[in-house]
Amino acid sequence: MHAYKIAPWRVQRQWVGSALLAVVALAMIATLYLDVTSQAAIAGREIQELTASISASQQVSADLQTQLAAITSARVMEERALALGFRPMETGEAEYLAVPGYSVLEPDILSSAPLLHLSVLTIPPEYNESLLEWVDKKIANSARGIQ
Amino acid sequence: MRQQYARRTQVLTAVMGFIALAIIVQMTRIQNSPEAAIFRQQASNYAYELRTFYPDRGEIYDRNGHLLAGNKSVYEIGVDLNIVKDPHAIASAVSVEVGMDYAQVIGAIQNPSADISYVVLADFVDVQQALRLQELKKLLQSQAQEGALGGLTGLEFKSHPQRSYPEDALGSNIIGFVSREGRGYFGIEEKYDTLLAGNPVQALVPTDPNKAFEIPRVLNGTTLVLTINRDLQASAEKILDESLQTYGAENGTIVVMDPRNGELLAMAVTPRMDLNQFWNYGSIYNNASEFNPAISMPYEPGSVTKILTMAAALDSGTASPGTTYLDTGSILVGGALIQNWDEAPWGVQDMTGCLQHSLNVCMATLSTQMGAETFYGYMDNFGFGHLTGIDLAGEAAGRLKIPGDTDWYPVDLGTNSFGQGVSATPIQIMMAASPIANHGRTVTPHALYAMVRDGRQYDVPAQFAGSPISTQTAETLSGMLAVSLESEGSMALVPGYRIAGKTGTAQIPVNGFYDSTKTNASFIGWGPVDDPQFMIYIWLERPSASIWGSETAAPVFAEIAEKTVILLDIPPDSIRQQLVAK
Repeated sequence: MHAYKIAPWRVQRQWVGSALLAVVALAMIATLYLDVTSQAAIAGREIQELTASISASQQVSADLQTQLAAITSARVMEERALALGFRPMETGEAEYLAVPGYSVLEPDILSSAPLLHLSVLTIPPEYNESLLEWVDKKIANSARGIQ
Repeated sequence: MRQQYARRTQVLTAVMGFIALAIIVQMTRIQNSPEAAIFRQQASNYAYELRTFYPDRGEIYDRNGHLLAGNKSVYEIGVDLNIVKDPHAIASAVSVEVGMDYAQVIGAIQNPSADISYVVLADFVDVQQALRLQELKKLLQSQAQEGALGGLTGLEFKSHPQRSYPEDALGSNIIGFVSREGRGYFGIEEKYDTLLAGNPVQALVPTDPNKAFEIPRVLNGTTLVLTINRDLQASAEKILDESLQTYGAENGTIVVMDPRNGELLAMAVTPRMDLNQFWNYGSIYNNASEFNPAISMPYEPGSVTKILTMAAALDSGTASPGTTYLDTGSILVGGALIQNWDEAPWGVQDMTGCLQHSLNVCMATLSTQMGAETFYGYMDNFGFGHLTGIDLAGEAAGRLKIPGDTDWYPVDLGTNSFGQGVSATPIQIMMAASPIANHGRTVTPHALYAMVRDGRQYDVPAQFAGSPISTQTAETLSGMLAVSLESEGSMALVPGYRIAGKTGTAQIPVNGFYDSTKTNASFIGWGPVDDPQFMIYIWLERPSASIWGSETAAPVFAEIAEKTVILLDIPPDSIRQQLVAK
């Protein structure tokens, strides 16, 4: 007590130190919050861009598929075959061979497998939840736990 | 001195503290004021936007995976009026590339309707045209001074899908078309419009990227796989077009069906329409029934109906193949005289002879011996007067008058037996005849082979519509029809394959009387007789080269049957029987 009386600045330094500690803690939380929210914003923007990209790719794919179908249409293929010197086969010209065990297979799946669709279930909460929402959720969960 | 500084410090601290407190109080007050609630409400209105996600329309394939209907990108070209720099440059570029009227474009930009900031100049613009405009816009932007706007600033492009038909007019009557509003008309496009279109999904999309975009799952429309064989369809259409030229027919129909399960393999009609130019519909067709006469245009089929009368007679026990009768060339039914097609007597004939010579008197004799109740009972079971239920839009039912109808007369029992006074579509006659080719079981004709949705394929099973005759009757009649074709050396015969079939030559009723110079020539046939894998129907309207079905429709049948056995890999009977024996 005597030491504090002869050197009151010691008390003041404790106060200043505590205040600075609080400021540093707040600054760290703010930095963390800024970092997390900016990352979430970037991830969100990337998702938006990827969605647009998927949509564009699907359109391009559909365009190419239609173009391919047009250049392999029955009329075009017949014209190309005739130009290459082929001619339609007559009934008597076919030769049939018995292949033991062979049976004509009908295709089971005629379309390609679908693209994976992103859905709510496939996006982890880390990518669509802010720090505050995470804190809210934790508080709500613990409150529920207490009840 | 130190006290003075201390006092000053205390005052300064108090003032600063007061100011900080005032700021906090004010912030709290503002945050909780009624105005703040209004602002928060307004902000939340812009935090999300309600967006409708339209699925891509499902594609249509033939049974071998050839695309018959798909989607391609087209562009909507518009102008953002808020950032337009040079309306004249835009009008010039659009008028040159898209072919629009310059004055119309400049008028739309300079005199827009009130309160709009975006005006659509053109829609459904081809990709190449839109890309050229986009390149020009970039070029002008790159040539502009640094920081300045290019001449086409404000010109906007939005791509969206449009229906496309890579095979143009091939199978147009089966496929139908989709209008620019996205609605299906005729054929598969109309029948399965809801399935193909899919379900649009409405979702609230956050505009704040912090709230990561939760993409709603939008399933594309169902993809359909048809039973149609594209190459056989192309061949049928080619043969039909050539036949119209050869025989001078006004129009025609060729239908190829698998009699074992009702799968349509080809359905060629005239006229056809390039589905990519569906707006020409009005100039090609006079009414909707002309789009696909095979299912929507009933007509008097004539003698092809005799196979059904014979089937009824055999099945009911009224006659057997060896039953004979004396043909005197005419018979009186209901007070009216019915004569053979050549008005001549044919003497003693058995039932195969009746079919071979297509004797009207024989058929009228059989129907009268069966009696109206039995005869019309069989006709009803064969499906006359009913829809077949085929999965193509626009089917018509045809007409079968029966005793009790106000316009039925006793003579109809005689005339109906050889296909007069009864109307049916080609597909109805095929369905009616299918039990004869399919061991007594009637098949429901259909064009859908499978549906593909969300990566899963659902095959459409064959549907059977009863057994109007016994297996024995069916096989006996098939044999009789094959013998009758072989005995007369029919033009419908296909070398190497045993075929069963029947011609039809029906006079066309005009103003209540039959015009003997104008006929509908028909042929129905199937093969191979011991294991039928195809059934073909030919209908030529008003052929001028010959009025007879045996000289017009029969050779067309042979031609398409030859093509069918090649494309379906059906070996000649002798080879097939050897293969089966092994």
